Amino acid sequence: MYPAPFDYHRANSVDEAIGMLSDIGEGARVMAGGQSLLPVLKMRFDELTDIVDIGRIPDLNQIEENGNGVSIGALTTHSCIAASALAGSVPILLDCASGIADVQVRSRGTIGGSVASGDPSCDWPALLHTLDAEIQCQGPNGTRTLDINGFVEDLYQTALQPSEIITGIRFKRPGAGSGGAYCAFKRCAPAYPTTSVGVQLTITDGQVESARVALGSSGLTPIRAQQAEAELEGQSLGAGQIGRAADAAVAASDPVDDQRGSADFKRQLIAHLTKRAIGIAERRASGEQVVNSHEYY
Amino acid sequence: MSWVGKSLRRKEDDRLVRGNGLFADDEQIEGMLHLYILRSPYAHARIRGIDTAAAESLAGVACVLTGADIKEQCDPYMQLGPEPCDKIIDLPLATDKVVFQGEPVAAVAAETAALAMDAGQLIEVDYEMLDAVVDPEQALEDKIVLHEAAGTNRVWHSVFEYGDVDKAFEDAAHVVKIERMHFHRFASTPVENNACVAEWTRQGDVDFLCNNSFIGFAVQLLAPGLRLPMEKIRARTYDIGGSFGVKIWNYVYMALAALASRKCDGRKVKWSETRTEHLLASGHGNERTFLDTEVALDKDGVITGIRSRHIDDCGAYTRYEPLGCVIWAQVLPATYGVRNFRIDFTQTVTNKCPVVPNRGYSRMQHLWFMERVVDICAHELGIPADEMRLKNYVREFPYETPNGCVYDSGDYPMMLEKAKELIGWDEWKKKQAEARKEGRWLGIGIGTTLDSGTNNFGQAQIMNPYLPFSGNSEVCVIRLDFDGSVIVTLGTGPSGQGHETATSQVVADELNIDPAMVTVRTGFDSAWNTFSGHSGTYASQFAVTGLSAVHGACQKLKVEMRQLASFMLEADEDDLEFGVGDEGPQLAVKGTDKAINYWFMSNVVNNNNALLGGNLADVTLNVRHVYRPPFEAPDTEKKFGNLTLTYAAQLHIAVIEIDKNTCRPNILAYAAVDDCGSVINPQIAAGQVHGATAHGIGAALLETFNYDETGNLLTATFSDYCPITSMNIPDIQYGHIESPSPFSYNGAKGMGEGGGAPLHTISAAIQDALHSEGIIVNESHHSAPKVFERVNAPNREKVVSVESR
Repeated sequence: MYPAPFDYHRANSVDEAIGMLSDIGEGARVMAGGQSLLPVLKMRFDELTDIVDIGRIPDLNQIEENGNGVSIGALTTHSCIAASALAGSVPILLDCASGIADVQVRSRGTIGGSVASGDPSCDWPALLHTLDAEIQCQGPNGTRTLDINGFVEDLYQTALQPSEIITGIRFKRPGAGSGGAYCAFKRCAPAYPTTSVGVQLTITDGQVESARVALGSSGLTPIRAQQAEAELEGQSLGAGQIGRAADAAVAASDPVDDQRGSADFKRQLIAHLTKRAIGIAERRASGEQVVNSHEYY
Repeated sequence: MSWVGKSLRRKEDDRLVRGNGLFADDEQIEGMLHLYILRSPYAHARIRGIDTAAAESLAGVACVLTGADIKEQCDPYMQLGPEPCDKIIDLPLATDKVVFQGEPVAAVAAETAALAMDAGQLIEVDYEMLDAVVDPEQALEDKIVLHEAAGTNRVWHSVFEYGDVDKAFEDAAHVVKIERMHFHRFASTPVENNACVAEWTRQGDVDFLCNNSFIGFAVQLLAPGLRLPMEKIRARTYDIGGSFGVKIWNYVYMALAALASRKCDGRKVKWSETRTEHLLASGHGNERTFLDTEVALDKDGVITGIRSRHIDDCGAYTRYEPLGCVIWAQVLPATYGVRNFRIDFTQTVTNKCPVVPNRGYSRMQHLWFMERVVDICAHELGIPADEMRLKNYVREFPYETPNGCVYDSGDYPMMLEKAKELIGWDEWKKKQAEARKEGRWLGIGIGTTLDSGTNNFGQAQIMNPYLPFSGNSEVCVIRLDFDGSVIVTLGTGPSGQGHETATSQVVADELNIDPAMVTVRTGFDSAWNTFSGHSGTYASQFAVTGLSAVHGACQKLKVEMRQLASFMLEADEDDLEFGVGDEGPQLAVKGTDKAINYWFMSNVVNNNNALLGGNLADVTLNVRHVYRPPFEAPDTEKKFGNLTLTYAAQLHIAVIEIDKNTCRPNILAYAAVDDCGSVINPQIAAGQVHGATAHGIGAALLETFNYDETGNLLTATFSDYCPITSMNIPDIQYGHIESPSPFSYNGAKGMGEGGGAPLHTISAAIQDALHSEGIIVNESHHSAPKVFERVNAPNREKVVSVESR
């Protein structure tokens, strides 16, 4: 398994990386952890002229908390996030980070790479919808901050401009009364999820104040199921509300038949995972510790 | 002191766990070239032309091979099958037409592997796409024919009939009909892919460092294919990272590396397969469809007759095939006492990867069929699954099957008892009743299977009466080295089975020394090891065939040692005993301190032979023994005869709950009971059982080769094929019983393949969970999406019917 020849450039700073990308132009691709890009190159599904390796740029792998603001550097690996104090107190992050692929992938793969890949099977883009995350980007025209909502525009296509890279992810730490869960259904560790659902609920006095429901591996992009959220918001949770939310999540999804299963099968899974994630999120919102892991078959 | 029967720590593991093993791909030689194989993206296409100019002009490319070179230098590989197989042209590269996706069409040797691949991408092949046929029943219609010279896709057909089948059906109290069953396509996926380093020397010899697991056979096919006498080919192995039978046939690729070396003036050429190449074009397991099955039973549920039509899909070429069309008959009645059979057996080629032997080869498919028959009949007639087995198990041993095979020993009811105990059968039955009340899908399944070992090659003559193969044999050479150490070489090399350890245990017992004093040469070298045409590690036979050769060699060595010691010690041979004295291993005169140690014995023979008496001229302390099991050629007309020497058995029980939300079959408990006769090394045997169980669970729940209708493989990466990992393996409750084989000197039975027990067991558990939902489990693969399909389209009405009188 050998990629086609390409030129390799290692950037030591974000500015240098942007400069390299601008100079090379089309044909250049950014590599962070390489866990999405390298398999594609090795299978020769993509042949590019240049790789700009941003993986060793210092200071992009930090998790910082400022008040209730959280910022995760784009180069933070899944393993680092899973092991962080942040994930210890925001369990939906642990659900996601600890269940991505296998330990080798988690040790190399980064949150920024996962978001930038625009791959609907990646876990982070779906999950970040539940936290209303912002994507911090930097390009030749300076920095800008984009909403995760709409960031992935189409299959493998994001809102990033040419020569623009992701530098970090920002979101507000869920407050008291807020709980979330991310549930993926997978065949085995090296496989992408068949489908996944992330839910974050803020519950006050038994009523859902705000809800976020996001679906991964359920269409061409990660999908925020807003109708499902609407079914939950302002309600106290019962089987009826949860069932309607699950139905709405299914309605928002757009799965296809593939080797992971038929679209009908995936719809049934989405309904199930939505209910499961809501259940766990609710318990967590009430302060209960709930261990959650992805389902394997 | 007996070493056999003890869990001696594996001698091999020290080097293997330290990373000191030597695998074919580890070989690094200055100036070595690397081979890239360009493969067809199409399953069926005519090759109109190949343009290699751009590839050849790339700096660092040493040579490019195409079908034109092959036509000039090769003869088609010998076909084992009779007409029309003998018309099939199988060459190292496709010449005029490709018949499966991944078939090699060109090869490039270059200074680096990356460069070879780059050059390969520059080769332009002009294909004319043809319609492909991937469904075996459609293939048999011959609307699309793969091998035009053969004229048909039907490569083998015959009827296996025993007893009085029609009478069994006339007398039957119940007849259960099962319209269709299907055993899916998967493979054993060894951790090390195929690899070799080849050198075509200036003297015209070909040297291979490879990982072929059946060199005795491979050389017989390679030599005529390369138009060489056999002695011109030397094939060596060192460590092999798993074979499971798949590596028997990698000689097809070894030939390409050799031809590239020849074209590059004898430079060494390495070929190392990638995982995707392995999944696409190495060797899949046999896919089999069972049609129009009818089962006759008496009023008590005892099966009296079975008739059925079996179609085996062997992929694009008959490489080891059509041997699989006969090999299943080693276990014709499975573990059951059925006497009347009519199996109409057909094999067809299709535009898919050729099949080659895979762990459980051909018997696993048939055992699954028999287990489904027993299990479906039990459910349809309302007989509890355990009782149904007990009614039908063979109980008296040795047992001659309707087709003349002799089951050596066993106790299936006791295995069932043991497995029930391990899993907590009664407790689970109660839990199941509760679960059912709650509407949960919880099933308990039993799978009984056989692992037939040490095969009689004469069965190949049932497939083709003109084949010059019969019997079986294995070879061992043992010698006392100059320093008194015991050196053993075998006719075969292992691929993970622990030959060095098991052999040391046998030799240690025979010579009454410590296993550490025995050196078993690692790997195999056709130039230095003596071997027979049967020599190889395959078909569950080392514990019997291999160790019988070792045991026999020890006896011959002991005779010589006694003669020598008797002369040197001036004592009667009968008064001598083997043992370890102050100066190491020795022969001593019983009850005295008179002894001669191994070093001195070797010294007298090799360096100091003026001391020898004249009547000891034949003593060399370097002896060879060939073990030949007592087989006779079968009656090829009646398809009758003993096809294997030993029959190890496994009985598994699984408790599975199918999650109604996800359709995921969740294994709640799993028990595996093994009976491989007398155990040489319990830890190795337990390891084999665990490995085979993992393989079977993987096949049942995760692993499948799916092709689309154009012959495009949809599961050609591990992310899609999804091999089993520790995440998917339940805790296995392991137990064993020992029914020593009366037919092996040591009571052992070959047991490495395991008979695919989890496939039978998991199908049975899912059947038990879903029978009330109107579902007949008639497929072997049970991934969650498959179960989803099944529960949404109950098939019982369509698939099964029962006539009772």
